[in-house]
Amino acid sequence: MASVAPAAGPARGLAWARQDPALTATVLVLWLLLGLFVVFPLAMLTARVFWDGGHFSVAGIGAILTDRHQVQAFWNSLLLATLVGLLGTLVGFVFAFTVARGGLPRWVVTAVDGAVLLPLISPPFTTAIAMVFSFGPRGLITYELLGLKGVTVYGMTSTLFSEALTYFPIAYLALRPILAAIDSNIEGMAMSLGASRMRVFRTVTLPLCIPGLANSFLLLFAASLADFATPLILAGNAFPVLPTQAFLQITGMFDLRGGAVLSLVLLVPAVAVFVLQRYWVSQRFYVTVTGKGAGQQPFESVAPWVRWALVGACLAVTIVIVYLYALLLYASLVMAFGANHAFTLGHYGVIFTEGFKAIRDTLVIAGFSMPLGGLYGVLLGYLVVRKAFPGRRTMEVVSMVNYALPGTIVGIAYLIAFNDPPVELAGTALVIVACYVFRYGPTGIRTTIALLQQIDRSLEEASQSLGAASGTTFRRVTLPLILPAFFAGLGVVFIRSMTAISATIFLVSISWTLITVKILENMTELSLGPAAAFSVLVIVIVFVVIGAISRGLRFFRAPGSEPVTSLLGG
Amino acid sequence: MKIAQRLAGKASRLLALVAAPLACLAAALPAAAADTVNVYSIWPENWARPMFQEFEKATGIKVNFVRFSSGEALARVIAEKNNPRVDVLFGGPVETHAAGIKEGIFEPYKPPSFAKLPARFKHPEGQWVAIADDPLVFMTNAKFLKENNLQPPASWNDLLHPAYKNMLQMADARTSGTAVTRIFSVLEVNGRDEAKAFEYMKKLRPNIQLYTKSGGGGTLPVGLGQAGGGIFFIVDALDTKAKGYDVVISFPKEGIGTAAEAIALIKGAKNPELGRKLIDWASSPAMQNTLAKHKINFLPAHPDVAVEPGLAAVIKDAKIFPIDADYAGANRKRMVERWIAEVLNP
Repeated sequence: MASVAPAAGPARGLAWARQDPALTATVLVLWLLLGLFVVFPLAMLTARVFWDGGHFSVAGIGAILTDRHQVQAFWNSLLLATLVGLLGTLVGFVFAFTVARGGLPRWVVTAVDGAVLLPLISPPFTTAIAMVFSFGPRGLITYELLGLKGVTVYGMTSTLFSEALTYFPIAYLALRPILAAIDSNIEGMAMSLGASRMRVFRTVTLPLCIPGLANSFLLLFAASLADFATPLILAGNAFPVLPTQAFLQITGMFDLRGGAVLSLVLLVPAVAVFVLQRYWVSQRFYVTVTGKGAGQQPFESVAPWVRWALVGACLAVTIVIVYLYALLLYASLVMAFGANHAFTLGHYGVIFTEGFKAIRDTLVIAGFSMPLGGLYGVLLGYLVVRKAFPGRRTMEVVSMVNYALPGTIVGIAYLIAFNDPPVELAGTALVIVACYVFRYGPTGIRTTIALLQQIDRSLEEASQSLGAASGTTFRRVTLPLILPAFFAGLGVVFIRSMTAISATIFLVSISWTLITVKILENMTELSLGPAAAFSVLVIVIVFVVIGAISRGLRFFRAPGSEPVTSLLGG
Repeated sequence: MKIAQRLAGKASRLLALVAAPLACLAAALPAAAADTVNVYSIWPENWARPMFQEFEKATGIKVNFVRFSSGEALARVIAEKNNPRVDVLFGGPVETHAAGIKEGIFEPYKPPSFAKLPARFKHPEGQWVAIADDPLVFMTNAKFLKENNLQPPASWNDLLHPAYKNMLQMADARTSGTAVTRIFSVLEVNGRDEAKAFEYMKKLRPNIQLYTKSGGGGTLPVGLGQAGGGIFFIVDALDTKAKGYDVVISFPKEGIGTAAEAIALIKGAKNPELGRKLIDWASSPAMQNTLAKHKINFLPAHPDVAVEPGLAAVIKDAKIFPIDADYAGANRKRMVERWIAEVLNP
């Protein structure tokens, strides 16, 4: 290995590569892919922003940054993303904590998991539409139930509500494995030393969750910054936000540059939050899974009244979700919602004939994206936390770019970059798959990173000191430990492949189309029935697939290990 | 460590299970057939599909299409300029096509019907031809009118009534051709006096609950009573009514504009011959005679095709005027920008 005497300077930088060829190869492949699917499209897009007729120009940027309405939209976006991040993380934590520490019966946990998944596995604007039906001037709740008149549904409150409801499951999914991984013996020890439950929560449990909380806030903040569909339907004209403005600028004003500028502006807060989170989280130390075995019965970590309050809160949120989706199911089964409530299966007939191509295309694309995205997330997250190689921080930042960028801009960037040679991919399924992998894989990366920060490095060091190569150590030691993160990543990529729209609305083509695009189209064409039927279908497909894999996962359960009961939460 | 080994072994087996079907799928990617014409349709799918089925029946040529709203379709054709993926841009208000001419994305073509079409239904050089005509209408919710003791609006000024405060939905001029036609209608009824026209639009602003992304976006809220009314293309309004929503269609006595729906051949199309055949067919009575059969309430552009009696009855006493293509083309961008600055974001 060290047959060549390492010289000073450049060779020192290459020492890592010689020591571990598997690592070198993996890092190089990842960089190649990141370069092609993250850096290259963004570079092409930036070129489009700053190159005007062959020379450098900032005129386009200046015009938009001095427009008072765009500036207002920028602050609105930040406010909304912050509130969604806070509210969503709070709700997600309450759910995760209740499930992990509430001592609930298994079937309740399964039921909660099911309901919580609903917003995640349907296109975001489906809750938005159900909100309009429920809270508008003639809303089922505001008008029919409460008799209120002149209520406005459009604005920040309902956008916040809808986005928080849509994205809090991400926080739940990110926090649940972390809470599950915190050895409850530590809490037990603190209590037996005389600390109250509240004190244990405040000084033991909560601090241990901080990487997870920060991680979840970051994910939700980015998700909100990227979401154009919910504000498109709910924000109205009084509360413009940047992603929607960018989308309208591009699709409506044919102004690719203007839209690109607006979106590039969004990158600034996304990166700022990311840097903040890294700095903050890295100041803390969180090892609770060590080589020294522990595995006693969990203790009663919450007081009965707290438990009931938590369960009550979860129940209330769950009821709201179930109500919104029951409305959707109903709309798919009647002739015309609000006008003709005669029962029909006709809308399902329509989607399985005219819409069949969209269904097939979506399934093929999701089938590709899921394993690739899951693998990518765990691999990159693992390398970044555990391996020393040049540019690893840069790799982490670059890997987050497509997630943090509004989907609109990723879609347009891909369209510009991959429409012409040298890399002509537009119109293929590959470009959509790549978009999903690099846009939603980061969920797996973040979860892996947060989880690995809790696992003591000594486990891996032991393996390596016994002579195992880094590939073997990863496969035999680390992978089993981070399986929950792998499956969380896998699940999120599959779900998003079935439900995302903001980037891929620009990537669908004459050969490949997607269910979500059909849904949005149907909604604007007054075909609410088929739109609702498509949404119900998406939900059923995702439930079936996730359920099937969950079942298959039972064989992962081994004596003494944490049972992998649910694909997403486990 | 035994556990870890077992888990890892099973993990790799699972990955193999996932990878195998993926490889099969990769081998089965579909390829485009030779007798197929590729189309971006701006007409919604439920109207475009029956038309394309009729076309296939008549000619044996299959149509492979995706639907986009006018702005998106145009942005796409422009983005794909160096490597066009479709042969024809089908439907959409003619301002969309007018904007495309400047980008040089169309191949001029004059179909056999060209000579017969009135001047406003064709571009002089054949950059586009019209396949239908689509007037705007006022559409209001019947229950809303009754509750507020209102008559269906019969004048542009009726929409300024305080009962409509925060209750109107209509399209956003940034994305929708419907909105652009609406703005030019207001300009026409005010004798193209821009100051007066914008004065009216600003006075109407407090009554607007939402400017929607697509032209038909407000029809469902009006149908459901979430909004009291709005201004829509007749084809969307009659469709709302046909679905069973209790809405009233009316026209302003000052008059209201109508937009031609156009078709155009894409420059550099891979199947130009098939594209021309589709244009021949769509601009002729062959297609436009089937509109009524499929309950698609566009007015035919070809003078030999009679307006369906039900549709004719709706527009019988209405004062409808065409939007002047030259005037609209020359001022479109400026008017939309002014609308954004003065009406949308006052």
